[in-house]
Amino acid sequence: RQHLANTGQSGEVRKATLEDVRERLAWLKRKREEEKKDEVIDLKTRLETRQQ
Amino acid sequence: KNWDDDEDGELEQVDDTDGVDPEMEYAQWKIRELERVRRDRAAIEEAEKEREEIERRRNLSKEERE
Amino acid sequence: MSGHKADAKALLDDRGYSGPLIRGENPANLIEKPLQDRITETYYWKEQCFALNEASLCDRAVDMNFIGGTYGQQKASPFLCLVFKLLQLQPEREIVLYYLHNEEGFKYLTALAAFYIRLTFEPVEIYKALEPLLSDYRKLRRRRNDGFMITHMDQFIDDLLTKDRMCGTTLWKLPKRQLLEDLELLDERVSPLADEIEAIDNENDDAREGDE
Repeated sequence: RQHLANTGQSGEVRKATLEDVRERLAWLKRKREEEKKDEVIDLKTRLETRQQ
Repeated sequence: KNWDDDEDGELEQVDDTDGVDPEMEYAQWKIRELERVRRDRAAIEEAEKEREEIERRRNLSKEERE
Repeated sequence: MSGHKADAKALLDDRGYSGPLIRGENPANLIEKPLQDRITETYYWKEQCFALNEASLCDRAVDMNFIGGTYGQQKASPFLCLVFKLLQLQPEREIVLYYLHNEEGFKYLTALAAFYIRLTFEPVEIYKALEPLLSDYRKLRRRRNDGFMITHMDQFIDDLLTKDRMCGTTLWKLPKRQLLEDLELLDERVSPLADEIEAIDNENDDAREGDE
């Protein structure tokens, strides 16, 4: 898991850079948008199956 | 994902979605911003009045001394 | 400065603390001791805040859906836990400012960064960083003991700049803006509505002159 990797053996957490933060937030944003898309698709299929 | 097991329903009832009624949201902000400006101005006027009052008293006591 | 211990022992141990100071203090003490205890005893702190760094903290921050202090049986909010985590991490300034203005639009991350800035930056820097957000009117859910309510970013920022207590936390005394202006450390604030305000003022003046 991520935090185990972060922690390593020493119990030290690696400090992140601004670039890490930027990438992380961009990724979180994309993830959220995809989730939203999935929800819409999900809703559509449910409506379609109901019509059949 | 929701660490606040208790009262989930209550959270949903208070909607924090932006842009539902953009004009209204802007208008309400405007009222708040104008109120802040009014408040800050009043505070400055108040401070100035106090300063003048101190100045006035200082002058008074000077005259009395003379 | 390469990293920090995954737990908060070093931060919480007053005698042993040797990290950077903020205004001559262990940064943890910017939060009162009893509240520190409320924070570190939560499940959220123990399970969700363990071993976070400046990047993985974002995962938690974007999932927040309200701001607040404590509620119920004095339970500390995730918001407070993350504030405390930031005090432990002490991210570089450019990272904090990136949180504040994040273009991805994660507003609770913005609120979190604003609170942290109010606690840790120097007075002039606080005004400079936070005042632009007085024009940000995104909605924020705020949790109080009696339930949830809506506030807005600009209100939250204004509270941070003018109040002594927020989210169950006593804020250190920030010098008033006026004082910093008198010392010529800050320029006068120009409201984004300045033009409109001037127009209103002129109208009022005209009306008054008309009366005389």
